[in-house]
Amino acid sequence: MMELAISSQGLEKIYPQVRALDGLNLSVPRGAVYGFLGRNGAGKTTTIKTLLGLVRPSGGAAQVLGLDIRKDHLAILERTGFVSETKILFESLSARQLIRFNRGYFPKWSDALAERYAGLFEIPMDRPFGKLSLGNRTKVCHLLALSQGADLLLLDDPTSGLDPVVTDLLMQVLIEDHVNEGRTVFFSSHHLSEVEKIAEWIGIIEAGKLLLEARLEDIRQNFRLVTVSGNSLPALTGPNLISQKRAEKFHRFLVSRQADEFVAKLRGEGATVLEISSVNLGEVFLGLAGKELPCMPGSAGTTRATA
Amino acid sequence: MLFHVNTSSGVPIYLQIEGQVKHAVAAGALKQGDALLSVRKLAAELRVNPNTVARAYQNLESQGLIRTVPGGGTYVADCQPGLLKSEKVRRLRPLARQLAVEGAQLRLTTEEVVKLLEGEMNGLGERR
Repeated sequence: MMELAISSQGLEKIYPQVRALDGLNLSVPRGAVYGFLGRNGAGKTTTIKTLLGLVRPSGGAAQVLGLDIRKDHLAILERTGFVSETKILFESLSARQLIRFNRGYFPKWSDALAERYAGLFEIPMDRPFGKLSLGNRTKVCHLLALSQGADLLLLDDPTSGLDPVVTDLLMQVLIEDHVNEGRTVFFSSHHLSEVEKIAEWIGIIEAGKLLLEARLEDIRQNFRLVTVSGNSLPALTGPNLISQKRAEKFHRFLVSRQADEFVAKLRGEGATVLEISSVNLGEVFLGLAGKELPCMPGSAGTTRATA
Repeated sequence: MLFHVNTSSGVPIYLQIEGQVKHAVAAGALKQGDALLSVRKLAAELRVNPNTVARAYQNLESQGLIRTVPGGGTYVADCQPGLLKSEKVRRLRPLARQLAVEGAQLRLTTEEVVKLLEGEMNGLGERR
């Protein structure tokens, strides 16, 4: 049983108009870099805010660094570096003043790191936050979150608004100062190639449910996209079938393991197998979250490593 | 050493790192006893997960190309110690087969494929 930095069981958040979280089960191992993917409105931000205790869950349970999100949310905030999606801080305060304002809350705050990030990201330290560009605001948010000495970073779309040079620098310091020190990084993103480079685990959320949670290595090694042609194939189901797309004559299936068995079954139904290929993260994401591939095996869709 | 990774190539990142270390050794850019960056340093440099680099290094070590001194860094190993010629040939055969198949599919002649290979070998430089 691996130690988890974040764990949730059937987490729910119900707003008057929408079930933002609909039975979310997350398992984020300690020390992992975990890419949290989902379309706009899928529930990423609600998940992060609920884990931090900034939003009260309607049902279910969750633990962050072993602490209960309902009872211990102050302790969670103390040990977690958080960058919000909106990147909003007090507008009238400069970065220098914000640092002074923030550092007292965090027992493990590092002035050395704050100084390093101020220089590295070329942050205007004395201009009011409200007068900064979106990119510079984002940098200030990162400086504050990354200097806390936090055991866990929860970053909601951390690279939005950053130019490619700063994005690259951010990735470097995340690895150098945080991942290499065994800290856990949980971040949401729409940039799949970024996620593929830095993440070890990914989770895909849609309509408040986790559709898939897997090691990227598992996806590379075991997931297969099977393309077949054949008329009147029966409806197929199975625990390893992640998504399927059916056109008139051509069908595409994404299977999570034992592709050979699945292919044999298809052949048994009279299908002609055209291609069996490995997949990248983009194909998995489009297969699961894209509207074109409707097959969802429900809660059985998560593939957890048993390690 | 200047390594780089490309996420859109479809080749797993650890294989890209493995391939680039092998190429650097074959081309003489890395020599016996040269130190490689530590897993953590190379991960930060490439902006990839440290586990990915660790995996590439493990594979290279199990192939005898590099050796890790516990707590003392990672080095290019002495010239493939104890590796029999037959073992070297065995490792290369799948690649040779793939080259032959692709060549035949593109309707290249044996001479053309061999010439191509010669060009690549010569391109590796004077170290060999």
